[in-house]
Amino acid sequence: MATGADQAVGLGLVGFSLLLFTYYTLWVIVLPFVDSDHVIHSYFLPREYSVILPGVAALILLLCVGTFIGVVTWKNRKPKKVD
Amino acid sequence: MTKLLQWLLGVSLIGIAWGLVTFDLLDLQLPAVYKEVAWPMPVYLLVVFGCYSLATVGYRVATFNDCEEAAKELQAQIKEAKADLKKKGLKM
Repeated sequence: MATGADQAVGLGLVGFSLLLFTYYTLWVIVLPFVDSDHVIHSYFLPREYSVILPGVAALILLLCVGTFIGVVTWKNRKPKKVD
Repeated sequence: MTKLLQWLLGVSLIGIAWGLVTFDLLDLQLPAVYKEVAWPMPVYLLVVFGCYSLATVGYRVATFNDCEEAAKELQAQIKEAKADLKKKGLKM
């Protein structure tokens, strides 16, 4: 079994993804079936944000990946060989 | 039919079903709740897939089969090999 920090990080990831899954499922699937004057609606943003926020997050992820690739490519460029 | 075509067929069928419900193309006059739940579905499935991937990675990191003695033994052997090669003249 992995120990110490590895186990903590792994279990942290599992916990975080469970939390995210539960919150997002409640937001997208459960909330439309709940009366609009129930108190639970105060814990969630308007429904449009359930599409906008993941979209923005995906864009930011793409930006990070692209930047990383760009930086690594730039660092590894070698001058042309002279024969 | 190739696997790719099968997948594309399945995805397009699901996509058409989603489009029909979200944009009311057949004027089915379903209760408004179904539209409310259907239109974020593509993004929802993507987020759920992302969560599942994250959970799988995290779980496998936490249950990875570390072999601490084997690791220490290997590092000792590397040290020994380096010292030996240095003695024989190899520049590290």
